[in-house]
Amino acid sequence: MKHMTKGPVLIVVAACVLLAVAAPLFAHHGTAAFDTTKTVTVTGVVKEFVFVNPHAQIYFECKNDKGEPEPWQGELTAPTKLSRAGWTKNTLKPGDTITASGNVLKTGAHTMWIRKLMGPSGELQLAEE
Amino acid sequence: MRLNSIDALLAITATFVFSCSLVAQNAPLAKAPSPPAPVHDISGVWFLRSPAAMSSFTNFTFTKEEPELTAWGKEKYSEAHAANGGKYTMETTNDPVLTKCDPPGTPRVYFHPYPFEFVQTPKYTLMLYEYDHTVRRIYTDGRALPSDPDITWMGTSVGHWEGDTTFVVDTVGINDKTWLDRLGHPHTADLHVNERFRRVDRDHMQIDFTMTDPKALTKPWTSTFYYELRPTWEIGEISCAGDYQQFNKFESGK
Repeated sequence: MKHMTKGPVLIVVAACVLLAVAAPLFAHHGTAAFDTTKTVTVTGVVKEFVFVNPHAQIYFECKNDKGEPEPWQGELTAPTKLSRAGWTKNTLKPGDTITASGNVLKTGAHTMWIRKLMGPSGELQLAEE
Repeated sequence: MRLNSIDALLAITATFVFSCSLVAQNAPLAKAPSPPAPVHDISGVWFLRSPAAMSSFTNFTFTKEEPELTAWGKEKYSEAHAANGGKYTMETTNDPVLTKCDPPGTPRVYFHPYPFEFVQTPKYTLMLYEYDHTVRRIYTDGRALPSDPDITWMGTSVGHWEGDTTFVVDTVGINDKTWLDRLGHPHTADLHVNERFRRVDRDHMQIDFTMTDPKALTKPWTSTFYYELRPTWEIGEISCAGDYQQFNKFESGK
């Protein structure tokens, strides 16, 4: 992760409390593949937003500390839950800058379970209530 | 106001007194003021809102304590590799819903974190669960529960009203491939599920569950869950086929 210490924002914080509160939102499958002991924050540009079951996906691109593009994948909850929170398939568009905080895969792959998301117009609600 | 105060006190007590868990689990939330329940009407969209003392488990099982399983039940339970506890991933779980998109069955359908809707007609009431288009048809035309039911994923259900606001549903003939909950507690085809949908006021409903299955459970497994009306919500689409299987690839980061 040291390559992320410049350019993109990288913050690692304890996430136990957040996990306890947010876990039901992600309850259709396990979270064992994700490192839930750390929260990672990255800023990047949306390449594609896919509003699909079972969980919506954001494909976005960050830059590493060498300025090289780095692909990321972010996961949200189900489209129905996002709809009730005001989302549509057009809420995020290619070119939008986002800052996503969440847990990444234990494998180190740039796949994030997003727990907090800032979009072009501010923070986005990630569940119906 | 007095009731609200008592409810609040119960909720606070339930949060801290885990040793009295049976009492604690049944402690209701402090309720917002609501008009009385209408007569013989539970139509609408409902969403699980658990008291604090229950929220740690109501997304995957009925009670904080393990149910009392028979030897057969314990053996079958040991074979279940549930994915939500953190021990198993999508690649290692044998959860029939997540790996094969099997229908969840009654009562496991309550452990998908999505709302459901009641649609009442003169001769039956439909339960439309948002998860995977799951439908239960509860007959209210006076027919008896079948004594030798055909086996289906969601079972055969009959219902009747007790008093003005309690809808009682009995269900039998549930496929034994389904789990009772997300943890994998087993049942046989002899499972009998009794649900008492008690609309305590317009905005709140409680469901008393009783699962009886002598081959799997040494005594009936009981719990009460808490729901709130969501009058502005509509049931959407959560499909399993084709979607969930893709998650193996996603979660493993391949």
